[in-house]
Amino acid sequence: MSFSTTQVKDSNSLPGGDSTSRLVLQMARRDISTLFRTPWIIISRSLAFIVQLFVFAYLISGFVVKFPNYFEYYAVGSVVGTIASISFIIGYDIFEEAEEGLLDYLLTLPISRRQFIIGRALGGAVRAMIYTIPMFVIVALMEKFSNPLSLSFAIFDLFLLAFGVTGLSITMAVSVRSANRFDVTLALLELAVSRASTALYPLAFMPSYVAAFAPYSPVTFAADSMRDVLEGTSLNFLSIAGLLAFVTIFVGVGATFYFRRLEGGVYA
Amino acid sequence: MFANFGIDLFVTAATFGNLISYNYFLRIAPGSNLITAMVAAFQSGRDIWREKYIKDLASYLLTLPVPRRTFAVSRITGGVARSLIATFPGTLVISYLYGILLSPRLIEAFLVVGLFSLGIVGLSMAVSAFASSIEVFATVRSAIQLYLSFLSTIFYDVTLFPELVQPIVHTNPMTWAIQAFRAIGNQGSTLYPISILVGPSLAFALLGAICYLWYARL
Repeated sequence: MSFSTTQVKDSNSLPGGDSTSRLVLQMARRDISTLFRTPWIIISRSLAFIVQLFVFAYLISGFVVKFPNYFEYYAVGSVVGTIASISFIIGYDIFEEAEEGLLDYLLTLPISRRQFIIGRALGGAVRAMIYTIPMFVIVALMEKFSNPLSLSFAIFDLFLLAFGVTGLSITMAVSVRSANRFDVTLALLELAVSRASTALYPLAFMPSYVAAFAPYSPVTFAADSMRDVLEGTSLNFLSIAGLLAFVTIFVGVGATFYFRRLEGGVYA
Repeated sequence: MFANFGIDLFVTAATFGNLISYNYFLRIAPGSNLITAMVAAFQSGRDIWREKYIKDLASYLLTLPVPRRTFAVSRITGGVARSLIATFPGTLVISYLYGILLSPRLIEAFLVVGLFSLGIVGLSMAVSAFASSIEVFATVRSAIQLYLSFLSTIFYDVTLFPELVQPIVHTNPMTWAIQAFRAIGNQGSTLYPISILVGPSLAFALLGAICYLWYARL
């Protein structure tokens, strides 16, 4: 996962010599390319999605009589939950790179720290989108979502969520030092963000202690916004604003933490 | 681990309880604890993998004055003990929900978790012996976890599955661990589910020990 050796082209040029966007895209491309070198991850996540949707959701929706069309509700939410889960992977990559010493090499590349960080966040988000789009297509076909504008907005929601979660994951990767503690923290965070949200079940049926927090989960913002736009209700501006705030905060915080840790030599 | 269990039980299971019925919540509640046991048990295999590929500790550990077989058995025992400790509060919570917290049947609840963990520790050690990269390990682990969680009777009866899939559900250790818990909850006998659970658990533990011995060849 982490021993990626994709070359950054024009490595002789000085930092700032290339356009910012090109260098950012080169960093992003490196993270995206790891996707195609690790087919096992694609297989496992796809399998998880298929089993959850076509076994779990299909069978359990037969029991759910208090909420009609639960399978359809779950199908959209499972895509949102999956993209959140996959976006967390970038944190594991960064943690392993630091542990294995690859980060030292990456820091010698002729690219500014800021471009490096934004490129990684962008790469993580695009990678998550590539993973998830086929699953979204399956759900769109099943539920007969065909309005191109609605589909575009839904994909935009997914991208915002992926970008924000990537930032959150990077923040965790650079904040926690112990491998075991990092594994547990990230897994727990992933579980909390996905389960305490409206991705897999409606807010009205959550216990009150969860319903109090769930509306503020980024996964809730994305799930609600996607359902509204796909079902043709309206654009859910409140949820989109929530997602944008989440992205701004966590990509910003992630970048700042990452920057400070790198410059502070914590990984040396 | 307890937080993991807490989210599974007090968020997911409680919400499904509200969506379906309180009885359904009680029905799936032990699943939260057994899923936690599964995660904790798999950590043993991951540690063995990390010792070999990341920390480079395997060679040192094998120089210790302990026979290989004893070492393999101790790794399994350690994994089961760790899993029992990780699920200790969860087992107490489920026992409270099932009204057996202050009854001798509490021992049966721990026995079920221990037996179930034994098999999963063995499986995780077998996977760690053959996985050459963390991706392969994580993929096999997640495939096994999917099988244990969704192709078992945690959420639904075996009769709901297509006939073709039913033998897979019947051979799933999770099915028998959960049936044993439900038998405890219904004040029934656990002899039948436990006697079936023993089979795959011992077989997987043996597989784990053999794979570990194979892996420990220098």
